[in-house]
Amino acid sequence: MRLARAWFTLTALTFRRLVWSASTMMVMLPLLGCLLFVLRRHRGYEFSPREFHQFSEFMILVFASFIVPVCALAFGTASVGGDREDRTLVFLLVRPIPRALILLAKFSATLPLVLGLVVGSYWLYCRVAGEVGAVAFPLYLPALVYMTLAYVCLFHLFAVSFRHSTILALVYALFMEVLLGSLPGIAKRVAVNYYGRSIMYDVGKDQGLKPLDPRWFEPLSVETATWALIGIAVGGLVLALVVFTRREYRDLT
Amino acid sequence: MQRPLPSNPGADLPAHHAAAESLLLVFDRVTKFYGPVIGVNNISCRIGPGITGLLGANGAGKSTLIKLASGQLRPTQGSVRIGQHTAWSTAAKHHLGYSPDINSFYEEMTGWDFVYTMARLHGFSRAVARERTGYAMEEVGMADRARRRLAGCSHGMRQRIKLAQALVHDPWLLLLDEPLTGIDPGGRREINELLIRLAAQGKTILVSSHILVEIEQLASSILMMSRGRIIAAGTLTEVRALMKYRPTVVEIVAEPARRLAGLLAEFPDVQGVEIRSSGLVVRTRNPGEFFAHVGELVCTHGISVVRMQTLDSGADAVFDYLQQGQL
Repeated sequence: MRLARAWFTLTALTFRRLVWSASTMMVMLPLLGCLLFVLRRHRGYEFSPREFHQFSEFMILVFASFIVPVCALAFGTASVGGDREDRTLVFLLVRPIPRALILLAKFSATLPLVLGLVVGSYWLYCRVAGEVGAVAFPLYLPALVYMTLAYVCLFHLFAVSFRHSTILALVYALFMEVLLGSLPGIAKRVAVNYYGRSIMYDVGKDQGLKPLDPRWFEPLSVETATWALIGIAVGGLVLALVVFTRREYRDLT
Repeated sequence: MQRPLPSNPGADLPAHHAAAESLLLVFDRVTKFYGPVIGVNNISCRIGPGITGLLGANGAGKSTLIKLASGQLRPTQGSVRIGQHTAWSTAAKHHLGYSPDINSFYEEMTGWDFVYTMARLHGFSRAVARERTGYAMEEVGMADRARRRLAGCSHGMRQRIKLAQALVHDPWLLLLDEPLTGIDPGGRREINELLIRLAAQGKTILVSSHILVEIEQLASSILMMSRGRIIAAGTLTEVRALMKYRPTVVEIVAEPARRLAGLLAEFPDVQGVEIRSSGLVVRTRNPGEFFAHVGELVCTHGISVVRMQTLDSGADAVFDYLQQGQL
């Protein structure tokens, strides 16, 4: 009972600190930018394959490939990395909470926040886009949820492994994901967004959606891509737990 | 199976003989490497109820020792136990209150909120956490300033908040890393009184400092560290006994002073006698023999001694001397 109370206190504390952190401001700007773009470009249009294609390309190439990882890294690295950089993690490590539960509390506070932001803003864009959005919302929602989950887990691994995890995660998200995800061949399979985009292209193909250049982007099946994202999420989180449980943080004091 | 602790300079401290095994902080042949650099080197000691001062210059290994005790670091060799628990374990954290030497907090919180949150992280209900927070803030003299935001608190107030969060769950072991830094003399006296009161309740308190006067006023036992090793352990008096042949300066107010000066000058272990208006200032290289000899002179020559005191018996002198022996 005492452990559960301590765990919920830590989860609530982390959630509250993340909401009122600089990360919130950092992700609000691109989310608002997307909203303005959707308002200007897609508002009021009736459904047509061309409209759907354009809206989908925006969601896949901008929202899923850029905004989702930015949201995940802003909060995913801040939940543990913020405490490390502020040197307040020591106050948590000397409490009678197993280290694995400390990390799970951080994760449990971060995931709903990032999911809420991603799903909430995606819902808003779809509402603004009218008929096109109504068709797109249920189609791409699972892919966005799986991508968010994978990114949040991955960035927790960054946070427990590296001191300046936000910078490293930013470099990873902006360069590695974009570069590797755009390469031909199998190199792109190391990028999380490749699997998310595979799901989105696959579920949209009934509406005539296809990659800009199919020779460069060969999507995996929905099942394969989904399992890959789940695997990245579980693997990332388990690795993060192992690292956090065993690691000495010498830089805290 | 536990290995027996070796006899070395860091052996059992005198104040702790009667302490139950469950109330001891035990370092058993502890060595800690940071890559190729050694942080602490084969340290064994048992620290029990009372205030133990951990002394040493910067880089001596004090913080490493406290981090090992608080379970932030794991020893490369040996073991650190808090009662029956390994210091790294979660169970040990129930018994441990730790005040780090950093000056970082959740700055957006008030002092009360911070200590209350730490109490909640120990699993206390809201009501109990409130009660304990009130007690801890009262103890550190922050009750009237508890609602001030941490970002606006002075360094001394922040030190008190750190102490309050270490006390809030009423642990039997307190590890305080430089707790008096930045506190004004009045506040220092209050904190000292608090620590002495807590020690009287049976708590085990390990206080690190590089300011020796602080520890001298506070601790019943001391551990002196240099280059990752304990170079002396015991009460200040016992540590001084290690220095039988340490040159010592003694001031004697006696009548007739000149006659006593002449007699002392003949003693082979006296290096010099100076007659001042305040009395005689004598330098001796063997304090033990010297004091015995003075006693004999006083009795046999009818000299009246008003006052006799060593002028350099403070912890600083002791520390300097012991450290020289390690170099």
